[in-house]
Amino acid sequence: MPTTITEQDLGLMDQVNSLARKARLAAAVFSQYSQEQVDNIVKAMTIAAINAAQDLAVSACEETKMGLVEDKIQKNLVASEFQFHQIRNKKTVGIIKEFPEDNMVEVAEPIGVILALSPVTNPTSTIIFKSIACAKTRNSIIFSPHLMAADCSNKAARIVYEAALAAGAPRDFITWIDKSPRLRRVTELLMAHPEVDLVFATGGTHMVKAAYSSGKPAIGVGSGNTPVYVHKSANITAAATDIIISKTFDNGTECPSEQTLIIDDEISDQLLSEFKRLGCHVCSAEEVDKVAETVIDARTGGMNYKYVGQPANLIAEHSGFTVPADSKILLCPMLGELRRHKLVVEKLMPVLGYVTVHSDQEGINRALDINYAGGTGHTAGIFADDESVIANFSEAINAGRIIINSPTSIGGLGGVYNNLNTTLSFGCGTGGGNITTDNVGISNLINYKRVPRRSNFIMSFQTTKNLYINPGSLDHLRELKTKTAFIVTSKSAAKRGHLALVTERLPAHTRVDTFSEIDAEPDFDTIARAIKRMKQSPPDTIIALGGGSVIDAAKIIRLFYEHPNLNLAEVAVSFLDFRHRLAVFPQETSIQLVAIPTTSGTGSEVTPFAVLSLHDGEDPISLNVGTADEHKTSAQKRKVSLIDQVLLPDIAIIDANLTKTLPKDITVDSAVDALTHSLESLVSSFASDYTDGLALEAMRLILEALPAVLENPSNVLLRHKLHNAACLAGMAIGNASVGLNHALAHSLGVVFGIPHGRANGVFLLSTLPHNAKIPTKFTAVSSYPLWIADEKYARAAQFLNLPVDEKAEKGSSREGLKQALIVALRRAVFDLLQSCGQPKSIAELGISEQQFQKELPKLVRLAFEDLSLRTNPSLPLQEEVAQLFVEAYPPRSRP
Amino acid sequence: MKKDNEKEHNRHKIVGSLLRNDEALEKVIASGKNVVVDFSQCNFISVAGLEWLESMLLKAGSGKAKVNFVDIPPTLYKVFKVARIPSILDACGSPIVSSVNPNC
Repeated sequence: MPTTITEQDLGLMDQVNSLARKARLAAAVFSQYSQEQVDNIVKAMTIAAINAAQDLAVSACEETKMGLVEDKIQKNLVASEFQFHQIRNKKTVGIIKEFPEDNMVEVAEPIGVILALSPVTNPTSTIIFKSIACAKTRNSIIFSPHLMAADCSNKAARIVYEAALAAGAPRDFITWIDKSPRLRRVTELLMAHPEVDLVFATGGTHMVKAAYSSGKPAIGVGSGNTPVYVHKSANITAAATDIIISKTFDNGTECPSEQTLIIDDEISDQLLSEFKRLGCHVCSAEEVDKVAETVIDARTGGMNYKYVGQPANLIAEHSGFTVPADSKILLCPMLGELRRHKLVVEKLMPVLGYVTVHSDQEGINRALDINYAGGTGHTAGIFADDESVIANFSEAINAGRIIINSPTSIGGLGGVYNNLNTTLSFGCGTGGGNITTDNVGISNLINYKRVPRRSNFIMSFQTTKNLYINPGSLDHLRELKTKTAFIVTSKSAAKRGHLALVTERLPAHTRVDTFSEIDAEPDFDTIARAIKRMKQSPPDTIIALGGGSVIDAAKIIRLFYEHPNLNLAEVAVSFLDFRHRLAVFPQETSIQLVAIPTTSGTGSEVTPFAVLSLHDGEDPISLNVGTADEHKTSAQKRKVSLIDQVLLPDIAIIDANLTKTLPKDITVDSAVDALTHSLESLVSSFASDYTDGLALEAMRLILEALPAVLENPSNVLLRHKLHNAACLAGMAIGNASVGLNHALAHSLGVVFGIPHGRANGVFLLSTLPHNAKIPTKFTAVSSYPLWIADEKYARAAQFLNLPVDEKAEKGSSREGLKQALIVALRRAVFDLLQSCGQPKSIAELGISEQQFQKELPKLVRLAFEDLSLRTNPSLPLQEEVAQLFVEAYPPRSRP
Repeated sequence: MKKDNEKEHNRHKIVGSLLRNDEALEKVIASGKNVVVDFSQCNFISVAGLEWLESMLLKAGSGKAKVNFVDIPPTLYKVFKVARIPSILDACGSPIVSSVNPNC
């Protein structure tokens, strides 16, 4: 609150500064107190408050001329005794809550200095309540009492303070502003004082607004307007008694007390009779007008504060009619338009409006009318036995506390009729311009320090369950449990004789259908056509026979055949957190998937990945099995990845006999892809001891077997090693994923139509040194707390027994040896590519420099969007990605 | 050979709770010598203790003596931080956070 200090204020500033400094020092000292010390202080304060409850109630009634001594005693006891019972075992010092499942604790930090504004309606009880709550939470508190209740308020503060001090509390942790005509001004100055940490205002709307305008954190709780719906299912006599108890409590000064009753027409006569029998006066229409004239301030439209907490007979008398002296409540039928009735507002006195309604819906709507006439967020009540009407009422009404079948005033206080926190400050949420709907208490007077421990990802290792791995293992098909098999393959499978090898081994009487339309980059149209075919003769088994594209397609075919309503856009959405997917993949599958790779590269037979091509501009949101045919094909494609364990095949048959006739270029391309898998999974941010072993052995097999296969392509033993290598590397990436090299290769492949393995090869000699140097930016993954990519590359070179410079081996430092080993690994990759005649640079792919430069921005963008980047050991900057492309263009020399 | 400024320093240890004035320390301050106040054995400080430290530092300042607080346990150092008394923070070697003035 921008506060202008006038000359008059200068005299007050000493008082303001003194109060603030005292509170500041006390708050500082309080920070040292233990839970035990605090609890002893709280107990001493509570005893003192209980002992003084009657004396303070008398003082409050005498000074404010409001309410009833008998009820104010009860309020003082609620603020002390009831609050004590609720908070006595609560922790407010040190670790106050543990969350073992989240590996986290909460530690309490005091708020500091609290400026507390207290009301005229509940002066001493509010002081007691806030003092004890502040002691429990180790805060110091400066009270700003209501001017009309300053003496009794400060008396209450002194009583509990002295008891606290005797129990060892810090000096001056409770202070108060003395009664004077400048009390309000002192309060304003304190609200803006730098030593005040929080303003805690309970009272009229003006005070609460001032608190929220102070520029300080504030808890401000103010006025309400409680509607109470008496439903026809209610216990009528009990409801009447409860309402009388509540509305007459302290002559209606409690702000959660009933303001307007909404009564079902069927029970209104009976209820009103009961009210009359118990001593309430039901006003005539003429009397209602008179009461409204009296208790409503014509200028503001709000209640006339002169009648707050006054007895019913006095209000009647001032209104111009008489009722028996012991009349409990003036019940006022609110005829005509309820929303414009004078009595629709809050009336903190024993004046209670009522309307009758003809249905639940009308009842709740009229309750909303009252609720939204100045009472949003505060309190509401309902008397009903019908749970559905209680549920509908609770859903509709905006109130921080909705009291069921009990008095709303004492019910709202908490701890008596229910287990709400005991309070004298009722949070009203944003409906009432407040920060909370809580029954404000100790939990609102603590700064919560959350202390989470580092949580490691729970990682799993999953792969295809049944692997058959030797040459000739295709014979396993003879034992396959199937009656109807659907073979997904490519046209070349038939040409190479593979299809016949499969079909002749399937058990006799197996009904077989074959879909041979999978090409190098299957799209959703193809998937949809396959599914359409499957529907003609539903299979129990899908056999994927071919390279990675075929196996990937078969995974997607099974998924969408079994779950045709899946949305491709959702299941293919990109992600950062490898543990979760935006869309939950259905985990049920009744069709077994048998993967038979005929190339030694992708390892798709053991991975949970499937790649699908989309035509440029094709919106995956519109793609499902029924609509795919409508999409036209275009030359430009982009790829989306589906990743989930449900995509894993059930059986993989790794039979190298099927690779004997694989052409040299495909042999090398796919082997380089597998080599890239092993190199990238080894240093992936999701690598584990389980994947490292697979990656290293795959690397060894490829480096040894690939050159030998090229010399002797029909040697099944050598082909077998290469086939195993691809499968092992597949298991590694299936659990650790890939990295930067794949992101670059995917991008190059899409833009220039380069086969995937070949595209991988041109970047290896760039990404390997890039990942071996200390990253510009580390990747933030909790499962990768140490950056050890360089160590792992060096370890790989040692495992592969690669030759290093003699000088480095003998005399160099550990770091020097490591660098030499990394160079040895790079040389091994260079030599392998060289010996296979594989391109090592983009230029060697036949892409002109002009074309390359033109597409460079797109290449960078696509690579940066690629999911593979997320598991790279470093997070490459966009400029680094661009530089890697540029470096990969010219022909390379040996490292 | 000790340097001059080291010669002039006295070391004074506060033991247990600092609830009020520490007469021994007051005497050292009154002598005008520089003092290093060791809080390593101090386990509690009261409001009166804080006020006395502030007044003691004021006296030392007027006598041009330098007072340094050392080996302060975190619980006590936090009390000094929360109390925001400039002279105490200065004696701790802590920057004095100038509190934000009221918007006038």
